[in-house]
Amino acid sequence: MKRELLASRKEEFGILLDPRTKLAVLITIAVFILGGSFESVMQYYMILLAAIPLLLLLVSRKWKGSILYILIFGGSLCLEMFGLSRLSGAVNFIAVAVVGLLLRFAPGIVMGYFVVTTTTVSEFIASMEKLHLPRHITIPMSVMFRFFPTVAEEWNAIGDAMKMRGIRPGGGKAGAILEYRLVPMMICSVKIGEELSAAALTRGLGGPVKRTNICRIGFGFQDVCLLLICAGAYAAQIYVMLK
Amino acid sequence: MNRLQGKDFINIGIFTAIYFIVIFAAASIGFIPIFIPLISVIVPLVGGIPMMLFFSKIKKFGMLTICGFLLGIIMLIAGMGYWCIPTGLIFGLISDFMMKSCGYKKAKWEILIHGVFSMWVIGAFIPIVVTREEYYQSLIPGYGQEYADTLMAYMPDWILPVLLLAAFVSGLAGGVIGRKIFRKHFERAGIV
Repeated sequence: MKRELLASRKEEFGILLDPRTKLAVLITIAVFILGGSFESVMQYYMILLAAIPLLLLLVSRKWKGSILYILIFGGSLCLEMFGLSRLSGAVNFIAVAVVGLLLRFAPGIVMGYFVVTTTTVSEFIASMEKLHLPRHITIPMSVMFRFFPTVAEEWNAIGDAMKMRGIRPGGGKAGAILEYRLVPMMICSVKIGEELSAAALTRGLGGPVKRTNICRIGFGFQDVCLLLICAGAYAAQIYVMLK
Repeated sequence: MNRLQGKDFINIGIFTAIYFIVIFAAASIGFIPIFIPLISVIVPLVGGIPMMLFFSKIKKFGMLTICGFLLGIIMLIAGMGYWCIPTGLIFGLISDFMMKSCGYKKAKWEILIHGVFSMWVIGAFIPIVVTREEYYQSLIPGYGQEYADTLMAYMPDWILPVLLLAAFVSGLAGGVIGRKIFRKHFERAGIV
């Protein structure tokens, strides 16, 4: 099956999580691992937080992803803990930057991947409605996430077509290349978007009444566990700051 | 008539997605610390192309505010901190008011509006300056002393207004480029 973000059809996964829990975990990882400081207690809490995406990948039986994640994250962690102090000069500078980027970005990207591949559009909208967010935010947001892979696909297709015609970057025509790639992509995207909105309107998106949803979402035991871990991260951060 | 409809919501989603992909591709040079200040020039410059097409679709109040807010949320998820949410909201709202006052159809105003809208980029730099000491400390364990020192050396305090101005000016330039491409391709092809 083609890879989709926020798929329209549901696949079977080993663990059932509320979309709100997934978002909470994603935001916690974004706040602490991407933007946080690696101080005292937080340093160890980071590893716990980073283990969540791995756990989720494992229970949803995405073996390839989990192995890749272990290699990337575990490898950079080992390097950071044991290897870096032995390097020096320019090598150290580059290694630190690369390892730092991998350590910070890998958990967030993996979690984001998990969220968008295991949540359907209906579930997402249902949970956003439970959070009482207005339609003004939820509809553009779900369209946007649904649209990222489409744009990327068009982008690659246009790249292939350009290669076939022998148009390559280089030769001091960066601006022209950008134009040749951007313009067709935008025309395609606008066309797709018009079809998308026509399809959505026939399903009653523009209607004035409150929409119902058949998705059953709610918090279970596994949600509570994950939310507690997230809350723990905030508590630990406050504890570190007060000290 | 003036309330936002389903079609408008979908348009916002689509154009925010296109805009984000374009600027993200352009901004990835920021991984090299020396080029970080350049992001505020490159993002508005390249972003003008999709935004000009988006502006031509806007006929109602509020669409740019939502677009700015969404950009802020993606920036939070992508790890640029939460400051982009308020800046996206503020500059989106100002651009919305400007759009309204020009009646949604003056091309010269649209270039100016793109300049204003582009200033949301400043949100990505605010944490570097406002919470400088904390930010510096947080960089050292993650990225190392040298990276942190390099970044701080390129980001003195007075750079924030400079970057804001740079974003505005290159937003204007991006608007002009976007307008040219818009005239050349989209109007002729009958997309609008």
